[in-house]
Amino acid sequence: MYNSVDELQAALNEQDYIAERGLSVAIYLALKTGKPLFLEGDAGVGKTEIAKVLSAALATDLIRLQCYEGLDVNTAVYEWNYAGQILHLRLMETERRHSPDTEGLAREAMEDELFSERFLLKRPLLQAIEQSRDGTAPVLLIDELDRSDEEFEAFLLELLSDFQVSIPELGTITATVPPVVVVTSNRTREIHDALKRRCLYYWIDYPHFHKELNIVERKAPDVPPMLARQITAFIQDMRAMELFKRPGIAETLDWTAALIALDQNELSLETVQDTLGVILKYQDDVEMLDPTTIQNMIDRANVEAQRA
Amino acid sequence: MSQNGPIKGVFLGPADAPYDYHGGKLTHNLILFGRVCRALGMNVTPNRMMDVGRALAHIQLGRKQDFYYTLRAHLVNHPKEFAYFDEAFDIFWRRPSEGFTTLNLQSLGEERRKKKTQFLPPLDSSPSENGAEAEELDSSMIALAPTYSRQERLRHKDFAEMTAAELEMAKRVIAKMPDSLGMRRTRRYEKGVGRQINMRRLMKDMIRKRGDVTQLPTHRRKEKPRPVVLLCDISGSMERYTRVLLHFMHTLAGSLYQVESFVYSTDITRITRQIRQKNVDDALEDIGGTVLQWGGGTMTGECLHRFNWTWSRRVLGRGAVVILITDGWDRGDIPLLHREMARLQLSCRRLIWLNPLLDVPEYEPLTRGAQALLPYVHDFLPITNLANLEVIVKALQNLSARPSADAYRQRYLA
Repeated sequence: MYNSVDELQAALNEQDYIAERGLSVAIYLALKTGKPLFLEGDAGVGKTEIAKVLSAALATDLIRLQCYEGLDVNTAVYEWNYAGQILHLRLMETERRHSPDTEGLAREAMEDELFSERFLLKRPLLQAIEQSRDGTAPVLLIDELDRSDEEFEAFLLELLSDFQVSIPELGTITATVPPVVVVTSNRTREIHDALKRRCLYYWIDYPHFHKELNIVERKAPDVPPMLARQITAFIQDMRAMELFKRPGIAETLDWTAALIALDQNELSLETVQDTLGVILKYQDDVEMLDPTTIQNMIDRANVEAQRA
Repeated sequence: MSQNGPIKGVFLGPADAPYDYHGGKLTHNLILFGRVCRALGMNVTPNRMMDVGRALAHIQLGRKQDFYYTLRAHLVNHPKEFAYFDEAFDIFWRRPSEGFTTLNLQSLGEERRKKKTQFLPPLDSSPSENGAEAEELDSSMIALAPTYSRQERLRHKDFAEMTAAELEMAKRVIAKMPDSLGMRRTRRYEKGVGRQINMRRLMKDMIRKRGDVTQLPTHRRKEKPRPVVLLCDISGSMERYTRVLLHFMHTLAGSLYQVESFVYSTDITRITRQIRQKNVDDALEDIGGTVLQWGGGTMTGECLHRFNWTWSRRVLGRGAVVILITDGWDRGDIPLLHREMARLQLSCRRLIWLNPLLDVPEYEPLTRGAQALLPYVHDFLPITNLANLEVIVKALQNLSARPSADAYRQRYLA
């Protein structure tokens, strides 16, 4: 475990994640105080990535729960292996028939056998709590919570305060060490205050030029230095436009990979036009970038790249 | 900001925690700061303050930046609060030598409040004694009203109180209101006759009956009403209907599940919160004060653009039904209107257009605006008398269960 924010920041850096000071402080406090970390921000700014990097840095498992509407206990916490249970029940019945002197198992004993851990399918939340019982806390990523519905949010509220799950047939399972919880949201709807209050809140913004350039160089070491600067400047310029979906860092990296795959050394009108689909995912946005606009943006990016 | 309030007795972690070095002053100041934040509208509870105290034990207090982020992570939980927090933080935690007085703090909230409600710079701004401050105020006010134009009639709307007859009618209407404008299937299950076997219950039955199950228990997908989004035109041409329409929106917001309400003319305003008030007169008065573009021109394209960009992703999830209430008169950018209608149609489940001009039997939607709207709507509702709420409700009752395919056909096969 880390003893200062600086140490944590260095560890994240080692994993090629360039975190701002505020984010590092929030993560550090989450680790120290056992509070969930609640991250909001536009798509593609690296919210999910944090959980991955954190689990790598802490050398623990990452357990991920992708939220969607109608997510329920059966998919989030546990489910019984019904096929296995039925098969086992049949076997028990057959055994009983072949040895008539044993009256067969009493009903409770049968139930105990059928509803035992053997037939329990552990879903992400239960897995996280189970693992925490062994003393090593995994990183639990609850991704895109805004896509789930209020019912699940209420359930999560209970789980995040006690870190325990009760299964009627088995009893209550409690985590000894609370898992490191990272909750992300794209803010397509507001998450309830009660849940936010239990968490440490951090809003991840789009990075500024130097940070993004740093990320590009880190994640794509074989990119020509000048191209990296041009790409970053171009994307930064693009984010200032009124787009329906502004490109995130994920798009910057995808685009860089695409340009490397196409053996480009610098931005040209033609390549930008051909690869626009990597950055922009809405037809309206693509239409905003006509050839003159793109050429202007390339020129500006060139100037910016020379200066930086 | 009195310094002698009941601050005693709050426990902020172990007594030997590193933050307590300066004779407990920090704890005291923290609590005061918490109050400032609460006064600025942040959700600061004693519990949160205790968390802050515990968290501070983990960081180096010497680094102001870390101290700042620690407080922020605990006290702020909405992006719009960052600005308030930063301002409060700067004033509160400056060095004493910089001339800190409680006066600054008192004026903090006041200034904000002033900035929030005042949309127009004073017409003949007289230079005040504090020139720099006045300038700062001015610039923030202009930034708050980027779409302001002199032609727009900025005035508050007065709605007379509802008469007894109107309230009576509202009651009748509510009784007839459909429960929902269509249902959507969720991924949750409920008991009942369906195609899927409820395995959990089957297992229990099998154990109870020793394997001799005569009936397979089933469950089915739970259904929920679709959310509804109301977009109401309140421009000049719609003026005579505005009151009754707002009344209608109030009724809908009170009787349907998850209703989001917006009004627009030259700009769009969300009135979901205001219209949710139980008393219709209170709601209308509140809206009259909030919305500033009553009776202006109609710029549907621009307003829909704003809606699509800022709100659609937040309110059009879960297969929402959109009801657009407008007469189709438009003075805005028509190509833009086409684009925005197309996007709106693609991002909702069903787009319904209520048109009051259908009063006249031989009315045909020939205006440019109407021509732009028509290809994209799923349902075009003929309202013969918009002044009568019951008629609107009846039209909604008679809606087919599914959106018609016409919209798509007109759009792609034209």
